[in-house]
Amino acid sequence: MKRTITLAMVIAIAIVSYIPYQLYYETQQLEKDLSELRRDISKNKQAIRILKAEWAYENRPEKLQALAAKYLPLLLVSPHQVATLGEVPRRAIDPYMVSTKAIPVPRKRPGLKKWQSKPPVRGPMHLAAFKKNNQAARIVK
Amino acid sequence: MSGDPFPVLTHGNMDADGRFTVSRNKTSIHLEGSAKETLEQGRNRLVVAGFLFAFCFVVLAGRLVGLAWSGIGTEEEVANIAPKKTGISQPLGARAEIYDRNGVLLATTLNTVSLYADPRKILNVDYAVQKLRGVFDDLNEASLSTKLSAKRNFVWIKRHLTPAQHRAVNDLGIPGLFFEDEEKRFYPLGSLVSHMIGYTDIDNNGIAGAEKYFDDQLAGKNGTKQAGINLSVDVRVQHALRDELAQYMSVFRAIGASGMVLDVTTGEVVAMASLPDFDPNRPKDYPVDSKFNKTTLGVYEMGSTFKTFTTAMALEHRSVSLRDGYDATNPIRIAGFRIRDDHAKKRWLSVPEIYMYSSNIGTAKMAEAIGPKRHKAFLRRLGLLDKPVIELPEVGAPILPPRWNRLETMTISYGHGLSVSPLQLSAAIGAIVNGGQLVQPTILKKNSDASVESKQVIRKQVSDVVRRLMRLVVEKGTGKKAAATGYLVGGKTGTAEKAVNGRYKRDALITSFVSAFPMNDPRYVVFAMLDEPKGNSSTYGFRSAGWTTAPIVSRVITRIAPILKIKPMDEESPSVQKALHIPIYSREKKHETF
Repeated sequence: MKRTITLAMVIAIAIVSYIPYQLYYETQQLEKDLSELRRDISKNKQAIRILKAEWAYENRPEKLQALAAKYLPLLLVSPHQVATLGEVPRRAIDPYMVSTKAIPVPRKRPGLKKWQSKPPVRGPMHLAAFKKNNQAARIVK
Repeated sequence: MSGDPFPVLTHGNMDADGRFTVSRNKTSIHLEGSAKETLEQGRNRLVVAGFLFAFCFVVLAGRLVGLAWSGIGTEEEVANIAPKKTGISQPLGARAEIYDRNGVLLATTLNTVSLYADPRKILNVDYAVQKLRGVFDDLNEASLSTKLSAKRNFVWIKRHLTPAQHRAVNDLGIPGLFFEDEEKRFYPLGSLVSHMIGYTDIDNNGIAGAEKYFDDQLAGKNGTKQAGINLSVDVRVQHALRDELAQYMSVFRAIGASGMVLDVTTGEVVAMASLPDFDPNRPKDYPVDSKFNKTTLGVYEMGSTFKTFTTAMALEHRSVSLRDGYDATNPIRIAGFRIRDDHAKKRWLSVPEIYMYSSNIGTAKMAEAIGPKRHKAFLRRLGLLDKPVIELPEVGAPILPPRWNRLETMTISYGHGLSVSPLQLSAAIGAIVNGGQLVQPTILKKNSDASVESKQVIRKQVSDVVRRLMRLVVEKGTGKKAAATGYLVGGKTGTAEKAVNGRYKRDALITSFVSAFPMNDPRYVVFAMLDEPKGNSSTYGFRSAGWTTAPIVSRVITRIAPILKIKPMDEESPSVQKALHIPIYSREKKHETF
């Protein structure tokens, strides 16, 4: 009887000491994972910050204006060019277009030219700048 | 030890040595007298101690069970507490970001590395200097070698390396050189919003602009909770303003320019530029005068733009009506001064005419009728005589004349003798045009639902009349070049001679134009100023405000109005014409017909 109790106690002690031991190692592993994750997060955060700064840098108005002047035939917006979406009239649908909608379009159809996008006009083009002989205006004409 | 605990527990075994005898007989212990008593006492104490220990253990066990049940110290909580202890890869304190009103990044903090050396660990100073010079050609050889041979264990060599430099120094492989992680403030938009944001020193302490004013908040110092800020500035508007100012500055070869766009209902500064400016990423490379914020810190005699205040005052005090006027045939002579007109008409002028032709004589007479005392009180009410309050450290106080008598009232009526900053002027004009509500200007974004504190400074009707007068100036008066079709611009020109060493310089002008749009319901005040513009062939040699700064306003408004969601209007439409109609009551025709 006494021996059984002792044996049971020994087993109990073994189990009870093994569980915390196991837990301790698990915790250590978890903590390691956690700190690794934290490091990754902070690295990513830093990367995001750099990317955001770069985004702002690449989108600075100065640069956009230079690019717009180079690639787009845009001038100062005059009042008659400003409108809200509600003011834009709905385009009447051409019945001919509706009927041909499902037909595969041949590559070179004479009537389709006007819908094909034009490549941007290259050349000396400027945003409406303070100049007497406005080059941009000439090109648009 | 014999294994018998009693003598130990009775702690008197030295004294009690030999006092009692213990028989090692299993059946009985014979004790007599005091010895027996001592033993009993020992036993009792043992029992007490045992209970105490048992109690403690029970408490501990109970506590353990309690903790396990209650769930205090769960993983999440531990996870939140942990970083403070470990300190792994915590950002160094990352100063908070600054954004514009639409969330465009204006200032951020990036991690960099800095190079330092432990001179005691450097084996060959000459070799190290030679190699380092190969990487950093801007370092001074002599100072570098004194640094590296110093008897210390820490010297900075170079702060904030570029990644390429970082790698190059690493490749040198010199012992005794170390890197330190640091942070550097970065301003992606460069000099665009320079004066408003300000800049920081090498240790990321704000030393100018919003960086300084909000230093505690951005860095989370002095018990302030760290938080980023949203400025009221809109970078698109800011760019349009700065771009136009810079262009016209070079066209008229001016030495400086200043401009501002102010929301008249909320007081938000939507754009604020002062040229020449600087790149806050490297403020040291720019001269000191480029750091000067002409818009808030600079005070100038604003010239004729002040006639707006004089006219508003005269109408507010009901001293004149629009039908009245003054004789502006001859210059006024007072105390050795001669007040004359630049655009002299040499006849009687009605109040609208005085304003639209910018007559000094007429305005001076108008102010004289009010008197210095009420004049001063009126300008003080508009905030023109006190240092303005705005969230920037660089704020200039107005310069008042030493005395304020009849002469001073007359000169100040057309903007000479009192120096104010463009900020004050714009805020006061905002109050004049928006129905008389003076709003505190701010550089912080306001929520659309936030209530705006304001002070009624003039009557609504007076504001309405002055608005029409300002529109008249652009339609028919001195500011015709400020017109921006569709946006109903109204404004006032201001040309002032620069006071240098207490004397007016005739060849150095400050030309300004203050405007508001759309004039039937003003939303924004636009101010532009050029410092010492020179006339050119396109202006026929003229350099007054109507020629040099009015076109800036016209172009700025055309560019920014669509951005600010102001819809262009048909200026000829009857409703607009009616809203902005003003009778001129000119007597010019009568002279001719008779």
